[in-house]
Amino acid sequence: MRKAFVLVAPVVLFIFLFTVVPCALSQKPIIIGAPLSTAFLYGWDAERGIKLAVEEINAQGGVNVGGKKFPFKVEVIDTRDLEPGVPVSDALMAVEKLILEKKADFLIGGPVRSEAALAAMDLLGKYKRVSILTTGVLTPRYHARVEKEYDKLKYCFRIHGEAGQLVKEIMACFKEIQEKFNLNKVFIMVQDVAHARGGGEILGKVAAKQGWTIDGTEVYPTGTTDFSMGLLKAKKAGSQILNIWMDMPESSILLKQWYELQIPALPFGSTLAAAEQPGFWKATEGKGEYTLCNVVNAGNAPSEATEWTMKFYDAYTKKWNIEPEGLGSSSSYMAVYTLKDAIERAGSIDSGKVVDALEKTDMMGVYGRIRFNPKNHQVIPALDPKEGAVGTILQWQAGKRVVVFPKSIAMGEIKLPPWMKH
Amino acid sequence: MEILIYGTINSIALALMALGFALVYGISRIPNFAHGAIYVVAGFITWTFLKVVGLGYFLSALIAILVTGILGALIYRFMLIRVRGMAISEIIASYAIGLAILEGLRWGGFKGMTYTLPVFIAGSVTLGGVPVDIHRLLLIGIGVAVIALLWLFTHYTRIGLALRGMAQDERAALMLGIDSDRMALLATAFGSMLAGLAAIVLLPLGNIVVEAGYNVLILAIAVCIVGGLGSWMGAVLAAFLIGFAQILTVVYLGSHYQMVVALLAIIFTLIMRPSGLFGRQKELEERV
Repeated sequence: MRKAFVLVAPVVLFIFLFTVVPCALSQKPIIIGAPLSTAFLYGWDAERGIKLAVEEINAQGGVNVGGKKFPFKVEVIDTRDLEPGVPVSDALMAVEKLILEKKADFLIGGPVRSEAALAAMDLLGKYKRVSILTTGVLTPRYHARVEKEYDKLKYCFRIHGEAGQLVKEIMACFKEIQEKFNLNKVFIMVQDVAHARGGGEILGKVAAKQGWTIDGTEVYPTGTTDFSMGLLKAKKAGSQILNIWMDMPESSILLKQWYELQIPALPFGSTLAAAEQPGFWKATEGKGEYTLCNVVNAGNAPSEATEWTMKFYDAYTKKWNIEPEGLGSSSSYMAVYTLKDAIERAGSIDSGKVVDALEKTDMMGVYGRIRFNPKNHQVIPALDPKEGAVGTILQWQAGKRVVVFPKSIAMGEIKLPPWMKH
Repeated sequence: MEILIYGTINSIALALMALGFALVYGISRIPNFAHGAIYVVAGFITWTFLKVVGLGYFLSALIAILVTGILGALIYRFMLIRVRGMAISEIIASYAIGLAILEGLRWGGFKGMTYTLPVFIAGSVTLGGVPVDIHRLLLIGIGVAVIALLWLFTHYTRIGLALRGMAQDERAALMLGIDSDRMALLATAFGSMLAGLAAIVLLPLGNIVVEAGYNVLILAIAVCIVGGLGSWMGAVLAAFLIGFAQILTVVYLGSHYQMVVALLAIIFTLIMRPSGLFGRQKELEERV
């Protein structure tokens, strides 16, 4: 008996080591680290988008890596970088924790604030972790750094629009407004954070070159709750458009005050987190009607940009019991599918191979054709979803978010508030 | 004209934010760093009773003020009383309570911009060519009424006089039979109720967010330091000084520098006159 045990035991052990253990290991998930400022719109909308995509992909069997299927697993960490004071060091610690403690294979999402994302690039380069930014970070410096320091920062991708592209879209929309309503005076209101300051500055220069009068620029610290003096300045100057770059929730206060003071200028948010959310109507008790805002990519408001747009929109609404809310919803969802596609084409989760595969990405997604510029890893934008990642500008009309730009996906026309009609 | 109107509104708003903090410190000598958290709690309680339970605005606000008063009393009775007299411990304990409340609210899902209170009266009027919404005008009236009532309360009621007695000399007050712990508890409760009242008056102009707790605390501290810690009349005067300075800064330099005014005021006051511009450290009757 003992002799039989001595003979059988090694065989059993051999079988266990070489069959059962690898089998168990094959179930080891691919970990997606999501560094997000979860208490804020651009954090929680991205988290929901990522989790929805992961759930769908896992339900279909997971990711095919060289013939074996692996599930995705999401590890979310709160970076807090959208809080007043912009605690960049907290965000960096969060990113490092995801890589070292949570063993994240890839990062999707943030950091959300441009300052924090720029600072995190060196960490991503150091640990050679592929990251796809999906929310918040609009600074053109991000992809400019990738291009300049390609060998070190080639792991950094951004799958949503950036400030330069936003300005182009806004200017095209401004042109429509100019032609339709004969408006040509702009007052710029920006939050004191990198992407907003940068965006406001670029828009001011471009608009001035195109013949618009820039009546002034007002910079507000994060957390400001009183905008009345700035609004009065705009009114005094005779401004006709308020161009707003703010992602703080307090921006809804600005719109309430705009209504209460009946400022005769059309509010046009470039990033205006408050107005992106379906809850904006309730939060402003309808006072935010006529507010325009850019939600960066299609799918964050209802439209028929591609066949996938409303499928995503409905799935998100069903899963989270709320419509896609902010600029990070569709891009975060799409980033997971893009990563899946790249891993499957690479046949590996090796960072270098996945970078190569991501550079060759060409797929039709929720907001159009998804391709990255291989030199700077910025998603290629377009006004037509067949050509590239298409943006979306919506306007609040009678309690609904109506897509009004670009024309290729518009669901309605831009309207002026009654106190602006002469 | 706009500087006069909006400077007055801003000053009254700052005074409302700071009065509760000044009152608690003036009487109990406890710097209540949970002040901002109590302010936010009052907003959420009002919102809950108004929007979820469906009570009227006045009743919801009244409940919120009472609950914040009770909350303040409980904070003193079960936590602050144990560290009273130990300055550093008072700061750490009260700040920790505030932090726990605010982060607890955030953890509990009270985040985003959907929590709002309606203005008391909608619409706006034009004064001297300057548009002002009616709620802001009401804010001025309410602020002046609160300051006047507080003065009357501390000068003509038994409890008010006892609070002043304790603020002037706690030992002497004890010898006269005034229970100092009871008075400190009452002061914390009244201070919290003032924070609650400020929230109900000011939050309809914006939305109820956890971050407001931190902002209100910073502004209240700035006002109290400039006015002289413990002197609530000093706090009112400092509120006007900072309030007008902020508006002048916005008009002539830009909104970007508005918050810097309060912080610079703290620094300059601490360097030039640590007891505060209007505080008279040795004239203790000024504290209340």
